[in-house]
Amino acid sequence: MQKILACIDESTWSTSVQDAAIWAAQQLSNPLTFLHSIEKQHLPDSNDLSGAIGFGARSKLLSEIATLDQLRAKVALQLGKELLATAELKAQEAGCTDVETVQRHGEFIDNLLALESTARLIIMGHSGSKTDKKVTILGTNVESLLRQISTPVLITPHDFTAPKNFMLAYDGRATTEAAIEHILTSDLLRGLDCHLVTIKNKHPDQHEKFAQATERLKQGGFNVTATYLEGDISKQLLTYQQENAVDMLVMGAFASPRLRQFFIGSNTLKMLGNSTVPILVMR
Amino acid sequence: MFKNMQHEWFFNIRGDILSGLVVALALIPEAIAFSIIAGVDPKVGLYASFCIAVIIAFVGGRPGMISAATGAMALLMVTLVKQHGLEYLLAATLLTGVLQIVIGYLKLGGLMRFVSKSVVTGFVNALAILIFIAQLPQLTDVTWHVYAVTAAGLGIIYLFPLIPKIGKAVPSTLICIVTLTAAAIYLGLDVRTVGDMGQLPDTLPIFLWPDVPLNFETLWIILPYALALSIVGLLESLMTANIIDELTDTKHDRDQECKGQGIANIGAGLLGGMAGCAMIGQSVINIKSGGRGRLSTFCAGFFLLLMVVFLSDWIKQIPMAALVAVMIMVSIGSFSWSSVRDFKKHPISTNIVMLTTVAVVLSTHNLALGVLAGVLLSALFFVNKISRLMIVKQESTAAELRYQVIGQVFFASAEKLFASFDFSYAADRVVIDLTRAHFWDITAVAALDQIVIKYQRLGAEVSLIGINEASKTVIDKFGVHSDAQTAATLSNEH
Repeated sequence: MQKILACIDESTWSTSVQDAAIWAAQQLSNPLTFLHSIEKQHLPDSNDLSGAIGFGARSKLLSEIATLDQLRAKVALQLGKELLATAELKAQEAGCTDVETVQRHGEFIDNLLALESTARLIIMGHSGSKTDKKVTILGTNVESLLRQISTPVLITPHDFTAPKNFMLAYDGRATTEAAIEHILTSDLLRGLDCHLVTIKNKHPDQHEKFAQATERLKQGGFNVTATYLEGDISKQLLTYQQENAVDMLVMGAFASPRLRQFFIGSNTLKMLGNSTVPILVMR
Repeated sequence: MFKNMQHEWFFNIRGDILSGLVVALALIPEAIAFSIIAGVDPKVGLYASFCIAVIIAFVGGRPGMISAATGAMALLMVTLVKQHGLEYLLAATLLTGVLQIVIGYLKLGGLMRFVSKSVVTGFVNALAILIFIAQLPQLTDVTWHVYAVTAAGLGIIYLFPLIPKIGKAVPSTLICIVTLTAAAIYLGLDVRTVGDMGQLPDTLPIFLWPDVPLNFETLWIILPYALALSIVGLLESLMTANIIDELTDTKHDRDQECKGQGIANIGAGLLGGMAGCAMIGQSVINIKSGGRGRLSTFCAGFFLLLMVVFLSDWIKQIPMAALVAVMIMVSIGSFSWSSVRDFKKHPISTNIVMLTTVAVVLSTHNLALGVLAGVLLSALFFVNKISRLMIVKQESTAAELRYQVIGQVFFASAEKLFASFDFSYAADRVVIDLTRAHFWDITAVAALDQIVIKYQRLGAEVSLIGINEASKTVIDKFGVHSDAQTAATLSNEH
């Protein structure tokens, strides 16, 4: 059975990831796995600027650096084990029966990509251990992960509360169609009210598709509020979200080519950067 | 795009800038010393070091490694400079860059897997010895002052870091150079200074196309040098990259490093610098001083240029003996002392490979030849070891001889295979079981053929059983004994 993969680290976002993971596990009744990655510390810790190298300089330097790495790794290993144990206990206390923990060395993204095939949903924090508690700063891992991964990713803000409704930003493209398909077949958003929002764009058949999408969601048993807006995509969506007290955003990722995003900016990234509610991204 | 910048350039800003400064201070003496080896003005080596370090910071495949003008390369240029002059050296530098880029695209860096650990050790030791030997001209036929200054320099370099607190906060090479220069000026010592060795840079480097006729004659002059330079440059660079990998527990991009070295050399050639490559000693100093990212390499080159251009009047006054002290330190620090310490523990073949590499380099002053000799020798030792992995078992009944061949059969063990069979035994039937044998090449197959034919000529029926799949393919391709016609021809010839 496919798993829910929740990525925790030593940052304060971990609590929110754990809460989101427990919520998702209860909605989906899939097994829950907590993943902790021990990323290598690149920062050297040298106070020796003498620049003098003497007899056996290389082997001496190697053993010094290796000893330092060993000390750091041991601490990180222990810390990760404790984090995982806490998360596991919390999930079990919340009633999740099938919980396991995984600890891996290496870059977080590489580890996640290696485990992706076993996961149906990935949950991670909006920011990580290196960023402060400023929600507008997106963690460095999030963007590159979203570009490489095809599993749905739930990105949690600093504090997670179980959502009662969600908003789907609909633009008629293949990624959002796939998102609708996913919403209909999955249990994750079952029982939540749906706000289907679209922003006017140049596609001629936009109205028609929008109506179809609304109908499909209604037939799928969702309580749909459909809204048609005009203007700047990310600004309008965020305003709508705040005005209607929407608890969660659902969107397809990166519709336009990368080069265009480099100059104009990606709506996905703008949304991710400015949102204060959980975002579910589907490819 | 930007994430990569962060990842390779700006994750360790303080450490990289400080270590870059430390490395730049040690690079100045090296660049000057290697220019003197090559027989050109110090400015050629200094411009080269600046260009190569700055360019490789952007295009190299191993962040944190220091590349600049090196002794290994300088030694290869001596005759070119002597016979044809600086302009041809610049042209050869450009061609070296082009060749290295081609090597990078052909992914020939993968050939490094044939270079064993003992060859690398031999290379490093030979390099250290060459750097040391290159200092000797500065120490022969001179007054006792020079020895005193050199000894004082070494004393400062190694003892200053032992002073608590300030000892490790300031590069001891800087203290050495500043103190000795001040002392020499104050005491009015009659010692050679950097200014006596040739022209120093007084401006920023400018773009220059080498002033050589663009024809085949020029190409034939520079090509052999460029080939040797590109190979030695890449060997030293890739070996250094491996050393940095080991120290920092990270990986380098080999092909990218080859191309990067090429681009850096082209840049150096166009700005009036000589060809260079990665430097083992400087890279170790960089890592030791806390440098890890591309920024450290960039800073090393950048600070080098700043100091050289704006302090050239002061640099002229530095006694050569102070630079000799720094170079001796680099030589000592580069040398692999563990190879001497563990000499008795290592297998003899390992030691022979290492010593041969060193000996060939010292006699030819060409590191590429040393590595070639080392690689060939280690291959031969390996072949010899594998050839021992073959035995032939014999069982005999009244009329039948039964052999079992186990292990690796190839050119080095074929003779042993033939010698293992008993041809005096009068048997009606000979069975050779090859189930556990592996036939590698045509020599092995020929030996088997020879055995089969010989038994046939002695009147025995020969049957081969259990030829495993791998052996079968080789035998099918080369074997003759199964072809009756050919076998008969062969038999008649004997």
